[in-house]
Amino acid sequence: MARMKFLCDVERCIDCNGCVVACKEGNQVPVGINRRRVITIGEGKPGEKSISVACMHCSDAPCIAVCPVDAIYQREDGIVLVNKKTCIGCGYCFMACPFGAPQFPSGKVFGARGAMDKCTFCAGGPEKTFSDEEKQLYGQNRIAEGKVPLCAAMCATKALMAGDANVIADAYRKRVFARGSGANAWGWDRAYGKK
Amino acid sequence: MNIKKNFRVILPVGVLALAAVAWAGSPQILQPAGPGPSTASFTAINKVFTGDWQQYGQLFTSWQGGLFNRIFLLILTIVPVVFLLHYIIIGAKSFSHAGTPIKFFGILTRFLHWLAALSFSLLVITGLMVVFGKFIGGGPLVMSGRSVHLIAAIVFCLSAAGLFLIWLKDMLPMPHDILWLLIMGGYLSKKKKPVPAGKFNAGQKVWFWLATVGGGIMAWSGYTLYSFAAPVDQIRQMAILHNLLAAGLVAFFIIHLYMSLFAVKGAISSMLTGYKSREEVAIMHSRYKI
Repeated sequence: MARMKFLCDVERCIDCNGCVVACKEGNQVPVGINRRRVITIGEGKPGEKSISVACMHCSDAPCIAVCPVDAIYQREDGIVLVNKKTCIGCGYCFMACPFGAPQFPSGKVFGARGAMDKCTFCAGGPEKTFSDEEKQLYGQNRIAEGKVPLCAAMCATKALMAGDANVIADAYRKRVFARGSGANAWGWDRAYGKK
Repeated sequence: MNIKKNFRVILPVGVLALAAVAWAGSPQILQPAGPGPSTASFTAINKVFTGDWQQYGQLFTSWQGGLFNRIFLLILTIVPVVFLLHYIIIGAKSFSHAGTPIKFFGILTRFLHWLAALSFSLLVITGLMVVFGKFIGGGPLVMSGRSVHLIAAIVFCLSAAGLFLIWLKDMLPMPHDILWLLIMGGYLSKKKKPVPAGKFNAGQKVWFWLATVGGGIMAWSGYTLYSFAAPVDQIRQMAILHNLLAAGLVAFFIIHLYMSLFAVKGAISSMLTGYKSREEVAIMHSRYKI
């Protein structure tokens, strides 16, 4: 079975934030929640680099290991999802995550954290596929429709790639070869290890 | 004499304050990478994410992923079993209630104690609900447990601060506390021999300091975990501290329950009525000056 991964090409990302807007708008993400962010290093200086970061859907995901209520799970295709009805908003996943992916809306009581929200790889959630409940809690389920996640689909420079790990790694390798320079895909060591 | 006594208080407080200042980490600032190969910018990006994860992220993940659960499970099983054996083999101590009882706790002390007891029990229960959340299914039940945890923490802080001031003088360590610890407070023998203790014995003193100073550290780390108002690596340290200290507090909470409810018959009545029997004071608090 295909193993889904994200890959952001640092040489191509131009900090347009199109992926962030596409994700927020397309998934009707709650106010104050950013499932995806663009980080810029050395802004305004020669050699400025940007990278778009969301949940990397890690192999052996740290968030799954630390969740005290087993609210986070991994699908067979590697996509890591959260069950918002089980989540208690303790924030342990945020502390475990190397990428700062888990986000928390303000809850109803004393502004304590509500259930965790994060990138779903546009694969909805544990509710019935295409149900209103799934759409309301988690946003679109584009994977079930056979489409790539909104962020990657939207990316103007095709810096952000999403899909079968072998396919996107191959595409990236060809780019690096054509450019004659480059490094390994950012974050892959940490997120996927050798798997 | 007063200087000596004050020094005992000031020294630990000063050490704690210094440790707190040293610990407060500075927020991460993005280091400008400047021109260079993409590997250089990777290093810069890694400082924000995965590089920082190496500090405490890995440690937190592996400990929260199993160690903390096991520690709590061990405490919840081993400590009661040890006490059950103690109860069966050595049994409870009982004292005659002859003679005029001795006034031990005033009305304000008792009120604050029961306020602290109620809130602390709620803290233990709701805290364990989070630790063992997967066995009760998580969801709204555990989430409301977190809200109760917050309210109970505020109530406990206020009542524990009051008790701290009331009891501070009697809880200062004394040389005879070492003797008390060496004979385990006389709890290992059935004989009723006077044990070296003033108004409070060494065990009670350990519980006092753990609950007040330890409680303060719990409140501080708990506030960080609640508000997330710190760099993520500091939040991880706080989570580790909060869990490990909580394990110690839960252990002493069970010890305190056993001592007051079972180990000495009727011990709890002194916290209800304010009076202890003459014989109980003579044996268990032999150095208490009436």
